[in-house]
Amino acid sequence: MTQTIAGEPLLDIDAIDTYYGAMQVHFGLRLAVGVGEIVCLLGGNASGKSTTMKVILGLVRPRAGRVRFAGADITGWETPRVIARGLGSVPEARRIFPAMTVRENLLMGAYLRQDRAAVSEDLERILDLFPRLRERLSQRGGVLSGGEQQMLAIGRALMGRPRLICMDEPTMGLSPLYVDRVLELIQTINRQGVTIFMVEQNANLALQIAHRGYVLQNGRIVLEGAAAALLRSAEVQDAYLGGSAAPAA
Amino acid sequence: MNPQLVAHDLARAFNGVHAVDGVSFEVAQGETLSIIGPNGAGKTTLFNLLSGLDQPTRGSITLDGQPLAALGADRFAALGVARTFQHGRVFGNLSVLDNVLIGAHARRRLAHIGSTPLAILAELAAGLVRPGFVAAEERAFRAEAESILALFGDRLLPRLHEPAHSLSYANRRRVELARALAARPRVLLLDEPTAGMNLTETAEALAFIQRLQDRRLTILLIEHKLSLVMTLSDRVLVMDDGRVIAAGVPETVRTNPQVIEAYLGHARRTPPEAEDGATRAGPADPFAAWNVPVVNP
Amino acid sequence: MDSFLRTVADQTVNGLVIGNIYALTAVGLALIFGVSNLINFAHGSVYLIGAYVGWVAITWLHWPFVVTLVAVALSCAAIGLVIERVGLRDLQGSARIAPLLSTIGLSFAFDQIVQLAFTANPQSFASPLPDTRWQVGGVTIGTLDVLIAAISLGVAAALFAFLRFTRLGWALRATAQDRDAAQQMGVDVNRVQQVTFALASALGGLAGLLVGLYFNTVYPTMSFQAGLKGFAANLLGGLGNVPGTVVGGLVLGLIESYGVAVLSSTYRNLFAFLVLIVVLVWRPRGMFSRERTLPPETLTGTFISNSRPVRLPPILLAAVTAFAVIIPVVLPDPYILQVLTNAWLLGLVALSVTLVTGTTGQTSLGQAGFMAIGAYSSALLTLRAGWPFELALAAAAGISAVVGTMLVLPAFRLRAHYVAIATLGIGEIVNQAILNWDSLTNGVLGLVNIPPASLFGIELVTPAGLYWGALALLTLVYLVQSRLLRSPLGRTWRALRDDDVAARAYGINLNRYKALAFSVSAAAAGLAGAFTAHMYTYINHETFTSTTSVLALTTAILGGLGNLAGAIAGSVVLTVLPELLRSWVDYRYLLYGIALLVLIRYRPQGLLGTD
Repeated sequence: MTQTIAGEPLLDIDAIDTYYGAMQVHFGLRLAVGVGEIVCLLGGNASGKSTTMKVILGLVRPRAGRVRFAGADITGWETPRVIARGLGSVPEARRIFPAMTVRENLLMGAYLRQDRAAVSEDLERILDLFPRLRERLSQRGGVLSGGEQQMLAIGRALMGRPRLICMDEPTMGLSPLYVDRVLELIQTINRQGVTIFMVEQNANLALQIAHRGYVLQNGRIVLEGAAAALLRSAEVQDAYLGGSAAPAA
Repeated sequence: MNPQLVAHDLARAFNGVHAVDGVSFEVAQGETLSIIGPNGAGKTTLFNLLSGLDQPTRGSITLDGQPLAALGADRFAALGVARTFQHGRVFGNLSVLDNVLIGAHARRRLAHIGSTPLAILAELAAGLVRPGFVAAEERAFRAEAESILALFGDRLLPRLHEPAHSLSYANRRRVELARALAARPRVLLLDEPTAGMNLTETAEALAFIQRLQDRRLTILLIEHKLSLVMTLSDRVLVMDDGRVIAAGVPETVRTNPQVIEAYLGHARRTPPEAEDGATRAGPADPFAAWNVPVVNP
Repeated sequence: MDSFLRTVADQTVNGLVIGNIYALTAVGLALIFGVSNLINFAHGSVYLIGAYVGWVAITWLHWPFVVTLVAVALSCAAIGLVIERVGLRDLQGSARIAPLLSTIGLSFAFDQIVQLAFTANPQSFASPLPDTRWQVGGVTIGTLDVLIAAISLGVAAALFAFLRFTRLGWALRATAQDRDAAQQMGVDVNRVQQVTFALASALGGLAGLLVGLYFNTVYPTMSFQAGLKGFAANLLGGLGNVPGTVVGGLVLGLIESYGVAVLSSTYRNLFAFLVLIVVLVWRPRGMFSRERTLPPETLTGTFISNSRPVRLPPILLAAVTAFAVIIPVVLPDPYILQVLTNAWLLGLVALSVTLVTGTTGQTSLGQAGFMAIGAYSSALLTLRAGWPFELALAAAAGISAVVGTMLVLPAFRLRAHYVAIATLGIGEIVNQAILNWDSLTNGVLGLVNIPPASLFGIELVTPAGLYWGALALLTLVYLVQSRLLRSPLGRTWRALRDDDVAARAYGINLNRYKALAFSVSAAAAGLAGAFTAHMYTYINHETFTSTTSVLALTTAILGGLGNLAGAIAGSVVLTVLPELLRSWVDYRYLLYGIALLVLIRYRPQGLLGTD
């Protein structure tokens, strides 16, 4: 298991400070994702997890620090430009286009691609991966169940042939059956060469499929390491739950 | 002891989605009840119901035996329910003092004369003429507001006439708390009073809440910092998915497997092959490290 | 065929034709709202420009009809891009009401430009199409009816195809459904927004052209009415709902047509605005809306920036007031006194709007309605009941307060942008009621020979007398309002403006305090209207139009919303400036529009700061 990343990381977040108005969300946030990894960012409510995702995607601009992705400094880039660089997004709460069909939703994932033939091939491949979506191809996204929407959101992200997929709480609000399916799927996708960065509240699950993890608390990384080690650490549980209000001894 | 605040079978649905689904509890006078649970569990919706900002689709709320659920938010305030908000909602363009004075709004004599055109006219006349009782009331509230602000030492008093938008985040949260106290509440609802605060500020807020407890104020607390919850609560209510999944004294709640699962997620039934051969144990005692003492300043 | 049935059939065809045009106008509003969350007040101006471009192309240039259609669509698309740029994109990060106010400014500017270019007179617009009529089952249908139906249906089909089958159309739908998610698919939402404005404006322009042809005339004021009709159709269908809006347009057209058939044609607009209000109150999110999924988020419904107001020392205020009082003595120039009298009266209305919009946060575009109520009350009491002026003036303030507050009562449950639209509609309803209530208001003819203002038997007919009268009223209202603002009432108003949810949690009964604010505001505006009536000695339904409402709001913004001294300073600037630059008088509204745009962008806190 790799603890440090060999070669240049695919995604590198360095000394990020983020604010919402007067409230500081990130305090010198640092983390990195290597090529081919599954990395999870863990943290309790209001720890700054989702904001981290927004910073990477260019939806929130940090006040200080740098974000590098695929060899470029993408700090302050507009979202579409970040996406064009090879980033796929599975947003929090899935954010399916509710009035578009499943097929249209998937094709929206390939919005920036010009290779129409290859897009059709990818669509077939993805529908093979998600037989449930094939059955519902012409239904509106809004009528799918939560689990189906999550599949659709992942499929939609894959349609862009990304190098890295950022997933914001992919298991949130899913039934246990779908949680397992989604996690297996993430592993499958990863084995096919897609790097995964996921933000999760569900620590036990996320650490079981991840290679490495970071624990975020009150806007700071308080723990990092190999997933197996983190999973065994009682400290994770504490930090992750926001249990400690005292300075780390 | 008779319960002071009773919620019975409270439910709130939005388009068929149950944000709060059959929540019941009782709080005795002077007790602190914490409500914990993951994001989206329905905690803030519950507070909206308890403060009258939202109407339940089902169930009842009684305060000292008086039913509340059908009343408007202005009546809740008049009967002694005061609250703070998750992200802090001060009146940005009002001065610190005026913010706190708004807290006393429901105690003003003119606040209880109804909404008839005549009442409206009376309030207008009072604003123009400012008869003696209005001026005296205003002076009394003002003195009280300043004494409440003095509880925060010199954090707010020197900024009495500054607009609230110019304050730091922590100071805005303090103004919110002062505003709630100016209502002389019978029940105080605190929605994440330490969210976004650093360690020192959190410790200070904790000490402040403990002082309120010393005054036998009934407190309902939503909080994510569990050490704070464990320190402050008499009882804890755990919510998940709109329902109460556990309730009791902090010691029992923290060992409840359902609670652990709601917070940490359940372990997979079929763990994948561990590539490095390491065993992937579930959490042995996830709460082992909870006993970190909270430092008082 | 039975004549009743024939009338019904004729009115149905009529209603559907007009409804088609409304739909064409409103679809653009729906597209823009869907993609940008903006109620575009400049849409009526686009429609006006479309009508005039078409008129020029056909009447002057004798272009073929098809070429004219293309020219209208292209020129209006270009205007749409200007609106997107100036009215919306440059204002990212401003208060949410800022783009809405900005499109009002643009609308002022565009309308005045059209008027400068083509005069205010209606231009006759003869249709270049052959005037063939067909009888279909007893109903008469003309070429133009067929053409309008064909264009509307054609546009609807093309729009459907665009949205369903093109990449850009997909991007537009995705952006409207979830802007953030669309961005995360790589959609350049700014470009989508530009395309949306261009497309919506092209459709709005075509609607203007068709209306011009249908009624055989084009005139500058058609802009405002069209905008309101568009809002009504759009609100009926649901703000961002394109198919719903088409239905909304048709329903509105039919309601109007049947209403006109039953009553008279002057009722046409009254119906539209009543429908608007009913829908706003009954279903603020349109006929096809579902229950909202979450309690409403906090919206800042007003335009208060985090600035500190300039506090003028009382000694300075007293000195300025004293100077104002002696002006007629030291500078007895009738022209100057007349200009300043107008400034004081505008100041009175600006004070009234700054109370509801600035202090209480309810953006009002209906102050002219309160003025009209005051004016007619006072005029009728003196004319018909023989009341003395002083008594009639006081009664007018009271009547305006009571009636005005009752009229806005239904709007109390609305928030943010919707309050602005509702108050605008209420102002129009007052005007339409005046127009139609002949027995009381003398309808179109208006009231003449209103007795002049007087004080203790002395008639205020000289410029100096009128000047002092207006100044006295202004000072009185200023003192009343400033005293109220310093009372607990002022604090309560500001609290509900800053955060209505928190205010509610602390026991503030929103309806009661909104009613209080509107009653004081309507009384002040009513005083201004009444004094104006006795000054002009003649009023009709066009004396107090929504233009006055918008001007009053602009004045208040210029001075700094909520700032009393600012409101008066603003009114002096906006009244005196065009007079100082004599050559600007013709460009007055252009100037107002540009002033509003510049203020919103560069100095949202106004001259003296919001308070």
